[in-house]
Amino acid sequence: MAAVHANDLAQVVLLFERYKSPLFNFLYRLSNDYETSQDLTQTVFERLLKYRASYQLGQPFKAWIYHLARNVYTHYWHLGQKMRTTDVLEEERQGGLGSAAFTQMATLECEQALQEAMALLAPPEREILVLHRFQGFSYEEIAAMLGCTAGAAKVKAHRALKALRTIYFSEQP
Amino acid sequence: MNSIPASADCLDVADLLVDYTEGTLSPEQTSRVTAHMAHCLRCQQHVAHTCELADIMAAIRIVPPPAALDAALLAALAQETDQLKQPAGAGSEAIVVPLNPTSVHPTSSGWWLRIAASLLLLAAGMVLGNHWRPLSSATVALSTPDAQAAPRFQALVGNLTAPTLSASQRLLLVSELAAEAQTSGDPVVQALINTLNFDPNPNVRLAAGKGLYRLRADPRVAEAFVQSLTIQTDPYVQILLIELLVEMREQRAKPELERLSRRPDALPVVRQEAKAGLGQLI
Ligand SMILES: [Zn+2]
Repeated sequence: MAAVHANDLAQVVLLFERYKSPLFNFLYRLSNDYETSQDLTQTVFERLLKYRASYQLGQPFKAWIYHLARNVYTHYWHLGQKMRTTDVLEEERQGGLGSAAFTQMATLECEQALQEAMALLAPPEREILVLHRFQGFSYEEIAAMLGCTAGAAKVKAHRALKALRTIYFSEQP
Repeated sequence: MNSIPASADCLDVADLLVDYTEGTLSPEQTSRVTAHMAHCLRCQQHVAHTCELADIMAAIRIVPPPAALDAALLAALAQETDQLKQPAGAGSEAIVVPLNPTSVHPTSSGWWLRIAASLLLLAAGMVLGNHWRPLSSATVALSTPDAQAAPRFQALVGNLTAPTLSASQRLLLVSELAAEAQTSGDPVVQALINTLNFDPNPNVRLAAGKGLYRLRADPRVAEAFVQSLTIQTDPYVQILLIELLVEMREQRAKPELERLSRRPDALPVVRQEAKAGLGQLI
């Protein structure tokens, strides 16, 4: 029995290594925090070790590991929400949007501005953009994750992009 | 700056604008949007913004994970391995050896994880159902006379026919030998090639392959990698060799990569790696 478990363990560890960087980037773009992303990636790995029995070799590992990662992030996010007050959130919202300085920036500043704008999206909107635009997931794959149709995933992604555009360019709604 | 009012027509095409920028609308829808945009500055601007945003998002950097993450993962893995250890009588030891992360080859920063994973397989006395048979001892013998003089090589060679060193001792020895060898043409190269091909333990073979990669200025290395790929059956060794051959842009590897990518008995992950490697070499 132990042989079987060790075999599973070695396989999932090998697979994890292949997804380590994409997962780290996924969590980094969601959390916008380098150190937090490291902790969260590690937590995903620990959960993978713990729950590896629920993964069957031959099933799509990618979907499974992203499922774990999404749960880890959601948990982290809810913890953070408990500690924050709505006042702080409101302040951030105002402060971040006060000027139209988001436009006319150099490339790296664009990325910084993008991260700031994305931080102002609702978490599901942010997530679907990270999955589709940064991580290259198709609408079909996202639909499988979210438990909706590919068409619905596309509509959600478009709405999220529209919301981001409004924030990023300070457009009037 | 964004004070252009929206018209009812704007709402009519609003949901089509992203698709419009991606060119996925039907011809009928496209002409509807184009007709509206011809006289609507607001929607023109939204389309321009959408394109700009898509470009910025497409250009987003991939951030390399911190090196500390590898150490943390290894610690978590070691803890899990401890819990896995069999109570008694198995005769196998779980050895997780974190190789110095700064000395690993450049293409896969996390390759220690593969070693660790591979060692886990060993810990349970099982190597993916792989039955390694060393070839005849005549093939195994070192051919270079200067190498035969060195007792440390003898230790390596000796273990092939009648192992006197444990796998972990051989692993250390291979790592040390590889680290000491500095020049191409060093007799260590032949010793490591023999180890890569004939050591019964896949982790020792992995270490030999890694050591040889450092000595790749020696023309024997590339040739040995190509040949070794044809006889290796352990997936970790196969994957390492594929990565190294691709990194060295070794064209002679193509026939074997082609063969490996189709081999039904190879693990899917190995077939994928071979296929991807082939794509990079062409
Ligand atoms: Zn309009």
